[in-house]
Amino acid sequence: MGRHLFGVFPAQYPREIFWAMNTVPVEIWDPPLSTVNANAHLQPYICSVVRSGLELILQDKTRLLDGFLFPHTCDSIQNLASIVNDYLGLEIPCCFFYHPKAPFDKASRDYYLSQLKSLIAELENQFGPMDPHAFKQRVDQGLDVQERLANAYEMRRQGELAVSNTSFYRNIRLTEYLHPDDFISGFETFLAVSKNENLKGPAIILSGILPHPEILRLLDQQGVRVVDDDLLSCNRRMPLRLIKDQDPYEMLVENYFAMPPCPTRGSPIQERLDFMMDKVRKTDAQGVIFCGIKFCEPEWFDVPQMVAALKDAGLKTLLLDLEVNQPLSGQLSTRVEAFVEMIS
Amino acid sequence: MSLAKRLSYNFMKDLGAPVVMGLAAKGKKKRPAPASTPFGPRLKCATRLKEIMTRHYFLARYAEGAKPVAWVTSGAPVELLRAFDFYTIYPENHGALCGAQRLGPEYCGIAEDHGYHQDLCSYARIDLGHMLSGKTPVGKLPRPDLLFASNNICQTVLYWYRILAHHLKVPLLLFDTPYNFKDIQAEDIRYMVDQLKGMIPVLEKVSGNKFKEETFMEVIHSAKDASLCWGQVLKAMRHRPAPMTIFDAFVHLAPIVSLRGLPVAHQYYQILLAELEERIDQGIGAIRDEQKRLMWDNIAIWYKVRDFSNLFAERGMNFVTATYTNAWAETSAHMDVEKPFESMARTYAQVILNNSLNHRLELMARLIKDYHVDGLVIHSAKSCKPYSVGQYDLKRILMDRLEIPSVVIEADITDFRVFSEEQTRTRLEAFFETLEAS
Repeated sequence: MGRHLFGVFPAQYPREIFWAMNTVPVEIWDPPLSTVNANAHLQPYICSVVRSGLELILQDKTRLLDGFLFPHTCDSIQNLASIVNDYLGLEIPCCFFYHPKAPFDKASRDYYLSQLKSLIAELENQFGPMDPHAFKQRVDQGLDVQERLANAYEMRRQGELAVSNTSFYRNIRLTEYLHPDDFISGFETFLAVSKNENLKGPAIILSGILPHPEILRLLDQQGVRVVDDDLLSCNRRMPLRLIKDQDPYEMLVENYFAMPPCPTRGSPIQERLDFMMDKVRKTDAQGVIFCGIKFCEPEWFDVPQMVAALKDAGLKTLLLDLEVNQPLSGQLSTRVEAFVEMIS
Repeated sequence: MSLAKRLSYNFMKDLGAPVVMGLAAKGKKKRPAPASTPFGPRLKCATRLKEIMTRHYFLARYAEGAKPVAWVTSGAPVELLRAFDFYTIYPENHGALCGAQRLGPEYCGIAEDHGYHQDLCSYARIDLGHMLSGKTPVGKLPRPDLLFASNNICQTVLYWYRILAHHLKVPLLLFDTPYNFKDIQAEDIRYMVDQLKGMIPVLEKVSGNKFKEETFMEVIHSAKDASLCWGQVLKAMRHRPAPMTIFDAFVHLAPIVSLRGLPVAHQYYQILLAELEERIDQGIGAIRDEQKRLMWDNIAIWYKVRDFSNLFAERGMNFVTATYTNAWAETSAHMDVEKPFESMARTYAQVILNNSLNHRLELMARLIKDYHVDGLVIHSAKSCKPYSVGQYDLKRILMDRLEIPSVVIEADITDFRVFSEEQTRTRLEAFFETLEAS
């Protein structure tokens, strides 16, 4: 039997539950589209992630999907969920996933568990009962995926991956839409063929929402190594510790609360700074590039504190106000090139 | 808390404030009433409102060190803090005040100079500008001992208050209210009740006061009375001609936002309600010739309140209802002194912005019917995404369903650098033509 497909908006959600329901969650971050129709629904000051996601639906390019999931990431995605569910007349279900915000305590854990169960119940209504063995197997497989990703990040930090920045993120981002059975084998090959020394060129860390392909290409051209990141779509969704447990629910709960600090989960600023400074200590990074998305409130509130801490530590910083699917302007390219010169 | 500061606070509260404010009031020249005005007589109790709010901000200068001080978001269940005798400051109210005095760009600019992006909420930028510079039109805001936020109005307050907590090195309590994509669930209530109960040890430690459930219940009682009375005040505008405009209500909502749970809030709304009822009996309208009745959606454009008030009144158009002012009356029925924690959860989790757009659509349709609304003005506020995202769809559906003319004004709550006078005028002129023809 073929797999079902679910369109998932950013950012945190338990993908293992979908896998256990024979469903592939396809994440919608930056579909390559020109925005035409979404402007009739969204004001000009709404970010391009939300705008391009809505455009994908309005251009009828989500016909193959069996449903949508909207995690509670920010105000714009919250209201987008309501627009899509209430006003677009779609015939597929829209699910909403609320994850608790910090500070975390027992009530947060109990609540997160209840949300996992609610999501399962909603999916069961659509796809039939979930097989508990499949659930356990997919949660274990989720851990396996996370271990492989963590290994790839560690190899990159140590200069043991001879790959371009573009290639690294192209492979990492396969997790956004591949089934784990397909991802694991391909990723294993990628790591095996890429294992080689790579210590040349200035090193930087990326922060922000997601890696902009043109920034990566520009950095590759300039011979810059991205040695780590704190991007929401990438490392900020990789648990800091991987916990094995007999109970798959318990593992999913642990995974959520072990995620790196993030404003979308309400983490204290100090935790975010500590997370970034830990990356600085563990690498030879000389600078940090913030790949911010224009109008992204969760991200831009934190930036001044992070810039100050990085400057205190002697690192250079560059702030980029980007739109997904927009080519880099000449001015932005020049700023990146100037930044690279400064850290070289 | 310091004994000397407490004595100083009590002295100012009982003696100093009335004297100082009395002298200040005497020194102020009264603005002469214009010879020709589209407005009815001014509300008499506006003077009382000014006294209450001036006193609140005046005493705030002496609260630091005398009483536990909390900075609170407008949608947070402040009743719990009142039970510990916190002096509360509402940065959003302060932001509105700065906005009305056209100080938004100046204070936002201070935050921007420190790296905060111009696209961030302008209430937050004003507050950060104040925190970084100490600038405020109210003299001085007391430094908080505690920050209390609820994300029932937006996630922005969470991002913003985390920054305050980081810089001011004080605890931040978050009341996390799951968004009601569909109906509120039992596990949502349980989660919120657990959070409120979990806050008590922190509040006891910061305030130095023990929690007493009876006090908490008394505060809820007082808040409910004030909120219900505020609801009655708003309902008075159903009358034709309406005895008050929504621009008045934007100003008169200050006590329900900032002093909710204190007896003065309820007392004030009783006075206001009595005056409005008297006006209704005497057939006095807020504007002399009420031809069309309008509804406002979203927070006020604070720097334009007076201009808009005049502009619409001159055309015989009166705003008689708003989704914004209604927010502090809408859920008060859930307050129940017998179930203090659960009722706080139900009350605060079901406010307008924590519900789906369909909930807002139904509310707007109901208000349009109940208040006999002829037209709708939608403020698309750059600062407020939960209020603004979806407005284009709401406008279209209300037009389809109720054939109600409407206009969208692209602006901001306090930062007038993003306001285009010309674009707004063009849109409003087209709206006036449609409305006058209907």
